Amino acid sequence: MSLSAVLPARRSREKGIDGTADALLGLLLAAPIVIAMVALVLFPVASTLWDSLHRVNPMQAGTPFIGLQHYQDLLKDPIVNEAWRNTIIYVVICVTLETAGGIGAALLINQAGRWRRFVLAAVILPWALPGVVNAVVWQWIYNPAFGLLNGLLVAAGLDFEKYVWFNDRTVALFAVSLVHVWRMLPLTAVIVLAALQSIPADLYEAARIDGASRPKMFTNITLPLIRGGVAIAMTQSTVAAFNFFDEAWILTGSSRGTRPILVQVYLEAFQNLHFSYGMALSVLVMFASLAVSLVYVLRVQRVTRLD
Amino acid sequence: MNKLLRTTVALAALALAMPSLAMPAFADDAKPLAGQSITVLLPSGQSPNIASDFEKETGIKVDLQMLSWDDIRPKLITGLIAGTPPADVTEFDWSWTGQFGAAGWYEDLTPLIDAESIKDMPTASIFTVDGKLLGVPYANDFRILIANKDHLAKAGITKMPTTIDELIADAKLVKEKGIAEYPLGVPLSPSEGTSTLWYLMTFAFGGDLFDKDWKPLFTSPDSGGYKALQFYVDMLKAGLIDPASTGLKDSDVHQMFMDGKVTFDLGVGPGWVGAFEDKTKSKIAGSTTLGLVPTVSGKTVSYGLPEALGIPAASEKKEAALAFVKWMTSKDEQIKLAAEQGLLATRTSAFEELNKQGKILDGDVVIEQAGTVGPLFKQGTPTWYPQFSSAVNNAINQAAKGEISVADAVKSIADETAKAQQQ
Repeated sequence: MSLSAVLPARRSREKGIDGTADALLGLLLAAPIVIAMVALVLFPVASTLWDSLHRVNPMQAGTPFIGLQHYQDLLKDPIVNEAWRNTIIYVVICVTLETAGGIGAALLINQAGRWRRFVLAAVILPWALPGVVNAVVWQWIYNPAFGLLNGLLVAAGLDFEKYVWFNDRTVALFAVSLVHVWRMLPLTAVIVLAALQSIPADLYEAARIDGASRPKMFTNITLPLIRGGVAIAMTQSTVAAFNFFDEAWILTGSSRGTRPILVQVYLEAFQNLHFSYGMALSVLVMFASLAVSLVYVLRVQRVTRLD
Repeated sequence: MNKLLRTTVALAALALAMPSLAMPAFADDAKPLAGQSITVLLPSGQSPNIASDFEKETGIKVDLQMLSWDDIRPKLITGLIAGTPPADVTEFDWSWTGQFGAAGWYEDLTPLIDAESIKDMPTASIFTVDGKLLGVPYANDFRILIANKDHLAKAGITKMPTTIDELIADAKLVKEKGIAEYPLGVPLSPSEGTSTLWYLMTFAFGGDLFDKDWKPLFTSPDSGGYKALQFYVDMLKAGLIDPASTGLKDSDVHQMFMDGKVTFDLGVGPGWVGAFEDKTKSKIAGSTTLGLVPTVSGKTVSYGLPEALGIPAASEKKEAALAFVKWMTSKDEQIKLAAEQGLLATRTSAFEELNKQGKILDGDVVIEQAGTVGPLFKQGTPTWYPQFSSAVNNAINQAAKGEISVADAVKSIADETAKAQQQ
């Protein structure tokens, strides 16, 4: 082998351009997150899956293998099915309102010019609040006797004197969803705003020269170019709505008419001490959430490629 | 020289060590566990002096942790299932007895508490499962009727109602005279307080919850439980119960009573009188009066909901924990706690002593009601109690909102109970 052939190879190894050194460095850098994911996500998921195939109940001796028994029972459990129905309603209301409202808010903030950062800071506040605090604030707003909402409606001449918002199931589902939307909408707005700001101004300029109206520009330029951001926002909205707990628990407790699926998981595990039954239900929640999210993720991938 | 030096150093070290070795042997004969430390987990609102008073008496340090009542159970369960209890002495509610007993999470205190003490605490039987005493009662609670005597006086009512009909008539009078918009304070949210009041009303309407084989006794229209639920629906329609009660826990109703918004607090125990009469907390201090639980027949009835102290089986400091349990449930401490935080004594001897000293409001009524107190479940609290209670309060909540009929509500309770019994 000639010297000229050997030297560049050695140099490239020394500089780390060589595949082995790069791979090692890559592994080293990825190791912390891989270890954290295995320890904090994969291991608990695998352990929960395994336990859900057993009977884990501290009131009964042993933890015998029962296969898919819990999953079969869950499908037939009317209370669990009611909680699923409530959760799907929450997901539909929350994702729709958060997406529509988030896009609207992002468009408005985008027009705020030099005040944008201050408006953004104000808008993001509800998202910074913990779910429990958010729910307690709204509990006061919805209070039949001295709540702000009834006060405003009565002042507007409407018959809402001591109106009890949670005594009607449909209204209650919407009222509870609204509290969640109020907290999560800012996140959607921020994600969409970031997408909006990545659109080159030249495109609008060219459209304006071509005589395009504002609605035309929105549907033909803005919307297609923020699709990726909107899909990401919808993914997080969906996952958050599936994991709905705090607001529903504070506002309506374990009320069956408004009980989301995660409250059912909590009640099965920590009230009834049917741990593995609760685990099986949480596994189903995880798969449902993943399945819906996967639709968005695949869509994002396609849209991003098109972009 | 070296030998001399070594001997001197050894003697000096021994001399220095002697006082610390000797101290527990001489000075702490009365405090054999001095220097140990334990963790105690209790509901919020305990006297701030508990830890210091106990340490003064026994030399045992106490890390007293307090959580809201609703938060204690999840914390306990996560710790107990993992074999690492969050404290050496914990709250032990009557409603946990079935589940915690079956799980074997708590130490059997039967051989550790003297028979005389157990005899002095009638509610100890509620914490006994298969002959094992799992908790020593420290706070007594049973249902009684509490009313605002100013409201009654303004309405011209001179005596407390003893029958359900009298209660309704009095409530109507108070409402008609505009003294209180909703005179009857009843929690109707899906919470434990809603269930416990319905149990009482079931008894008040002459019924019971289960027969000896755990078959429901509340499903037929002529049963006490059915009538009790129908009573709620009728009172809501008559405007005697606030429609917003569907979102109220028992503690919210007590707060409304303290704000002077309701005349009768139905789901309450004498332990709340301290708060009702505390001018810093209550707007109606001085207006509280107690009466016997009204019933259809006029013969009063009640049941106990006591709280106890238990020692988790996995605690590593059981001796010191036991010392704390004995101290806090002693007659002297029970009398002191009654004065400091309004706890209702669990020892009959302490209770009588307090009444003799005139420290119990309407003491004669309380003692008469105490005489009618029995266990909620004659067979002991079942392991499926939380599911039963949850089914009860959810069904009541739905019936009160008008989502389901009374017949459907009691049927749903029975169905869920049957399902829970099979699991």
